[in-house]
Amino acid sequence: MATDLRITAEPVDAQRCKFLVDRPVYQGVRRFADRGEAAGSPLAEALFALPGVRELIVSGNLVTVVKESPEAWQVAGKAVGAAIRQALSADVPAIADRPPATGERLVSDDELYERVNDLFDQQVNPMVARHGGRVELIDVQESIVMLRMSGGCQGCGMASVTLRQGIEGMLNQYLPEVKGIVDITDHTSGTNPYFASAKK
Amino acid sequence: MEAARKLQVDLTVASEQPSTFEQARPDALLTLDFRDLNRAVEEACVFDTRFRLTAALGVDDDTVVIATAINRGLGRPSNTIEAVQAARDKLLQRTLLGSAGVPVPRFSRQTIGKNLETAAQRANYPCVVKPLRLSASRGVIRADDPAGFVAAVERLGAILESTCDPKGRPPLEYLVEDFIPGQEVALEGLLVDGELHVLALFDKPDPLDGPFFEETLYVTPSRHPEAEQAALIECARQAAAALGLREGPVHAELRINEQGAWLIELAARPIGGRCSAVLRFGDGTISLEEIVVRHALDMSLPSLERERSAAAVMMIPVPGAGVLEDCNGVDDAKRVPGVDDVVITAHRGETLVPWPEGFRYPGFIFARGATPARAERAVREAHRRLRFVIRPASP
Repeated sequence: MATDLRITAEPVDAQRCKFLVDRPVYQGVRRFADRGEAAGSPLAEALFALPGVRELIVSGNLVTVVKESPEAWQVAGKAVGAAIRQALSADVPAIADRPPATGERLVSDDELYERVNDLFDQQVNPMVARHGGRVELIDVQESIVMLRMSGGCQGCGMASVTLRQGIEGMLNQYLPEVKGIVDITDHTSGTNPYFASAKK
Repeated sequence: MEAARKLQVDLTVASEQPSTFEQARPDALLTLDFRDLNRAVEEACVFDTRFRLTAALGVDDDTVVIATAINRGLGRPSNTIEAVQAARDKLLQRTLLGSAGVPVPRFSRQTIGKNLETAAQRANYPCVVKPLRLSASRGVIRADDPAGFVAAVERLGAILESTCDPKGRPPLEYLVEDFIPGQEVALEGLLVDGELHVLALFDKPDPLDGPFFEETLYVTPSRHPEAEQAALIECARQAAAALGLREGPVHAELRINEQGAWLIELAARPIGGRCSAVLRFGDGTISLEEIVVRHALDMSLPSLERERSAAAVMMIPVPGAGVLEDCNGVDDAKRVPGVDDVVITAHRGETLVPWPEGFRYPGFIFARGATPARAERAVREAHRRLRFVIRPASP
């Protein structure tokens, strides 16, 4: 097992937690909407075997786990960390590439990507730029938008307000096809946040 | 925000500085002038005519006063503004509590730059000088003799001047109060129709004897004998009643010694954001914030019983003045049995400022255990494994 691996857990809320790994887990972004999609990806298989895990997003060195169990992340996170260590110590890739899409949706992820990207370029980024921030669209998978914040937004004490009250609200308003939003930012590495985080 | 989402409550976030999304999301974001209470209430009421507001909740000492005024403007049952202002202002609070017979340290009000030598001669030593309105023990300094008093007040004066606009500001005042020896505890409670429900009583096992009063460790449940716990709770209950608080969360700091329980400070808000994560209620899925939101919206309250296991949180002491370059050992700290999480909130490149000038902890350690002693041991061991790398700040 990769014992020298450094993993930092950053809970977003009771359901969602980001795990920052000190090395790449997957080159690119892949979302697993359910256990069925995990087949062939050892890390995803291991994580979906944990009680209550219902969604997984892997992007570079960031693993975002969504669960529905009441267990606190402070407890559940240990099993997630162990699964990451186990998967990264194996000789096979922890995450396999996504198989080509087979089904047709009303709006494909590619189309949605373009629309979200336009919204980010034309509205979202000019707004956050006023605070020295930037929001980068990473991918759209299964109508879920994955984004990363940088500049003044990264580590900002108001980042969650920007995300939920601002960006998510705009997506709901202009692109109701979007089913959800996932922030894969490593906020602990932000070096120039616009607002400092809370003192306590 | 997460509690509101969980309860599927529509949320508007008000801040004193505008969000860059405010124009695009006028129902979700609002800018209020926190320095002007009447104007803030007026703006909130105008907002209410466009996008209905059910209730307002403050998240810190200042916004609690604003939220109370807004609730009253909306015609919602809430505390009086006088009550929350008394909780906000240390002088007013002590005056009211002293008049009501609640045990508080003997105190006097002084002005920076005036009668310093006289005040130094008249103080009872050891004493504590403290600002009237800063929070997180910022600027609170113990003095053991007149020379120490003069140095403490000069240091506090510099802190106060750094926190306010010198143009047209009123004279800077401070409190001098007797130092109360004894063990300190924190009480987390919820007032419902004037009745205090104790959500948690935290011991603070590290002595808080000064010269500065940076918090470190909170452990619950309390290990004080039941009679002492009852005295502490009764003291907090009397204090809330004396201030006129009847609804919402309260956070009280108390001390206990051979003379009994003493009220050091009481705030009409819950414990600070990160620390609240140490508290879970009912089946373990209910947060303190959920309870506070439910109460504010008259929703049914779930169990107010804290979970069974003991819990501890350490506000990591500032390891030294300077610029944070890195924090090593976080993974190692998380591996300590019983440790739930280690969160470093200071970012790389952030300037760390020790107390009494500082007021921000670089991070937090959370642990649970079968007993308070085990939870406490876990956070201490985790803290021992952390290594902060700090370089001197540029002059």
